[in-house]
Amino acid sequence: MESIPKKGTKEREDMIREHKECTESMKGVAGFSILKCETPGDTTVVTGGVHEHPHLKRVLQRMRGESVAGKYIIICTKVEEEWRIAKLSGIRGVPPEIVSDKVYTNEQDAQHDIFLLRLEELPETAGFPEHYTEGWKRRDDNWPVT
Amino acid sequence: MSAMRLTGYADRFGVHPGDTIKFYVNCDGPSEYKAEIVQMINGDTNPRGPGFIEKPVAGSLDETLPGRKQIIHSGSYGYALDAKPLQVESFTIQCWIWPTTPKTHPKYWKHGSQGLVTKWIDDKGYGLFINPEGHVEVRVNGTKLASPTPLRDHAWHFVAATFDAKTGELILYHEPQIQYALDPVVEPVSTTVSEAIIHTPAPVALAAYTESMTDDPLAQSSMPAGVTFAGKYNGKLDTPRICKVALSRLEIETMKLGAQPGLTERRNSGPTGALSEVIVAAWEFSEGIDTIVAKDCGPYRFDAQLVNLPTRGMTGHNWSGTVFDWKEAPKEYGAIHFHDDDVDDARWEIDFEWTVPADCKSRFFAAKLTTPEGDEDYIPFWVVPRIGEEQSKIAFMVPTISYMAYANEHVACNAGGAELFVYRVPIMQHQNMFLAEHREYGGSIYDTHTDGTGICFSSRLRPILSIRPKYDHFLAQAPWQYPADLHLIYWLETMGYEYDVFTDEDLTYDGLARLENYNVIITGSHPEHNSGTQLDALHNYTQRGGRLMYMGADAWYWVHSFHPAYDDKGRGVVTEMRRCESGIRTWRADPGEYYHAGTGELGGMWRYRGRYLHSVAGVGMSSEGFDISSYFSFTPDAKNPRVSWAMDGIDYDEPLGNFGLVGGGAAGLELDIVDTTLGSPPHTLTVATSAGRHTEAYLLVMEDFGFNQQGLDGTTHPRVRGDIAYHETPNGGACFSFSSIAYCGSLPWNNCDNNISRLTKNVLDRFMVDGPLPPPPAEEIKYRGRADY
Repeated sequence: MESIPKKGTKEREDMIREHKECTESMKGVAGFSILKCETPGDTTVVTGGVHEHPHLKRVLQRMRGESVAGKYIIICTKVEEEWRIAKLSGIRGVPPEIVSDKVYTNEQDAQHDIFLLRLEELPETAGFPEHYTEGWKRRDDNWPVT
Repeated sequence: MSAMRLTGYADRFGVHPGDTIKFYVNCDGPSEYKAEIVQMINGDTNPRGPGFIEKPVAGSLDETLPGRKQIIHSGSYGYALDAKPLQVESFTIQCWIWPTTPKTHPKYWKHGSQGLVTKWIDDKGYGLFINPEGHVEVRVNGTKLASPTPLRDHAWHFVAATFDAKTGELILYHEPQIQYALDPVVEPVSTTVSEAIIHTPAPVALAAYTESMTDDPLAQSSMPAGVTFAGKYNGKLDTPRICKVALSRLEIETMKLGAQPGLTERRNSGPTGALSEVIVAAWEFSEGIDTIVAKDCGPYRFDAQLVNLPTRGMTGHNWSGTVFDWKEAPKEYGAIHFHDDDVDDARWEIDFEWTVPADCKSRFFAAKLTTPEGDEDYIPFWVVPRIGEEQSKIAFMVPTISYMAYANEHVACNAGGAELFVYRVPIMQHQNMFLAEHREYGGSIYDTHTDGTGICFSSRLRPILSIRPKYDHFLAQAPWQYPADLHLIYWLETMGYEYDVFTDEDLTYDGLARLENYNVIITGSHPEHNSGTQLDALHNYTQRGGRLMYMGADAWYWVHSFHPAYDDKGRGVVTEMRRCESGIRTWRADPGEYYHAGTGELGGMWRYRGRYLHSVAGVGMSSEGFDISSYFSFTPDAKNPRVSWAMDGIDYDEPLGNFGLVGGGAAGLELDIVDTTLGSPPHTLTVATSAGRHTEAYLLVMEDFGFNQQGLDGTTHPRVRGDIAYHETPNGGACFSFSSIAYCGSLPWNNCDNNISRLTKNVLDRFMVDGPLPPPPAEEIKYRGRADY
């Protein structure tokens, strides 16, 4: 399994820079991916990102597969105007809770900030035996669909 | 963030000119609101498109109405009204249970006790419960006796309780069907109760207990009106019985057989003559599986009304694993699965009505609700002409079954894995936030119930916040379904076409008559969910010379049926679907539970009932991905004179649709391809393809491979592509398939002046003319194989 890159390493800084450049290039697209639009906001030609950086791709997939409780999500608080970062509760009937005061004025920047938050929060060995919990026996470890 | 203080629904999706449509509104806070009728043109707020557009309607309402709160009493249960035989002095209650959430998180939306079989309110009466700690419990008035051993979730248990009024002895039996090696033996427990059962007019409740009997206006939307229920149980309940004496354990065992009417000469109505004298009720859920009545085979016929449509046709405690269709062995299907978030009908009071003017055009409409404080909601509906009174040569088939399948979808919130398939962090809108808190509005057929089991029903008699304008869906980060189909409506309006609209319900009930007076039928962007009669009608139509423009992808995929128990409330009130052994499934039905409860038909994919997707319009779903879209290129087939007219005004080499309001391109989200081995007619022409242009987020559908392997994504797999395709049907008919859900999102680009708009116009202009299409060149008339040309 792919390790989360260590703080202060060049690998980690390169990954952050690539993620940021992809995020910026997606502004204006009615969709989003960690890929770089050759012309910003235009998906005719996309390169880089997860297609050309396998370590970034796998780290992102690890992050995306985190279990639902406490998982980051983006909330659109004003249509086409404002977005906030929140966390899912993992409990039916308890809505996501906004966890940051930062108000985004586009739907892309929060994607990058969540990537940075996860890099900070996930230990290098997340998902390896030293992180075993009882929950692995009852699907708490899996990538649940619903 | 707006709190969605206005929500509402209508009594129907489609309404004829001259008829009246009723609206039900919850206005939670504001003292009044304004109601108008508007025509819907564009629902997408994206600043790169035309923006939100609605139009005033002649003869509209323009009323200010008093606001009132209305609530949904969700969660399924059964009830039988109070009657003297139910007011027992002593009792035995017994049943089988398969609880799914015996113990819930303290913050869970309905944390607390769950009722199993109860005639109990406010510490008066009797019943079997599950207590908040997850143990089975019997109650006599305020006295509670619980098993020392918790219930195991997702496992069958036989539970019974006896109370002898003379001795005061109360006994509780909890007998797990499965015993694992390290399980303790669960002994019966007993206590003594010194008081008599206090009787009330509360009904007997199955899978709940009576909370209140009140004149409170908010309780009137419960059923029966004014009687509210709490302790909605999550799980299966099987063969509950009530007797009026405390039976011995041996008698309880015999009583499992139930009333067994019909052999009165030998043993009266009971498993033995003696037991026949003490039966109060013996429900057999194996009878009337396609109804919403739980039949009591006991002497008093206390048939229980089922409310909020719990799931039937579910395997019982005695399912043998040798029969898979409940119709073949109903006695193995004596379980009903109740869920605390089931909802069949909000049952709200009518707030206003609108009589559609007799000369009203057939279009997309909505009741627009607003308050001066900025609250807003739209309740969409469609004005549908009567058969024989069609207004146009073109008709748009509104995919309302698909809208219902996605109704109030919670996937981004419920599902950690949502982020994996959208390949980014999902974005939730205020509708999603409202639903995350208001689980009583019910989920979609993509969701799991609050107990984790799949949702297989969806009702339209509730506010459906996903069928709304100004709503981006997390899957697309753009409009999806209803607002995405408005892209096409905006295009039809901008291009000046006259068109009618009708719904999936209309087609399901009317059949070919609904189609045959039109020259061309246009689908929505994603008509994924279909009834069998709808597919029949489309086939019959194209066979007889009709023209079909399939404007999207992933259509004709899932088997749906309307539940017959709701036919008296209108057309298509509740749709049913089962997610069986293949297809893109956000949940998977359990073994033995593939057959619809309502119609008894096999659920799952039409493909596995021998109705290949590709046979309807020439293409079928092959891949999906939700990050960004790409574009199409013409193929040499486009130059064939049978279809070359479609390229008029477009250069062969130009990128087709490398722009758009859904994913940024016309080829995206879900994609269909031509496959003559899966039902595409062998003379199908592949006009354009997006092959090779999709991201790694796009993956081959699982029904197209049998072995997990690398290389299934858009960067490597040849079947991850969309194919725009054309084929002729007999008698001058034809199908043109655009094969991408994102396709319609490119139509409005640059005020509809673009090559996707041009291609679509070329097809529509040809297809809408009267009479059969021109015949193909003589040399094209030849016999073709499927796999071998």
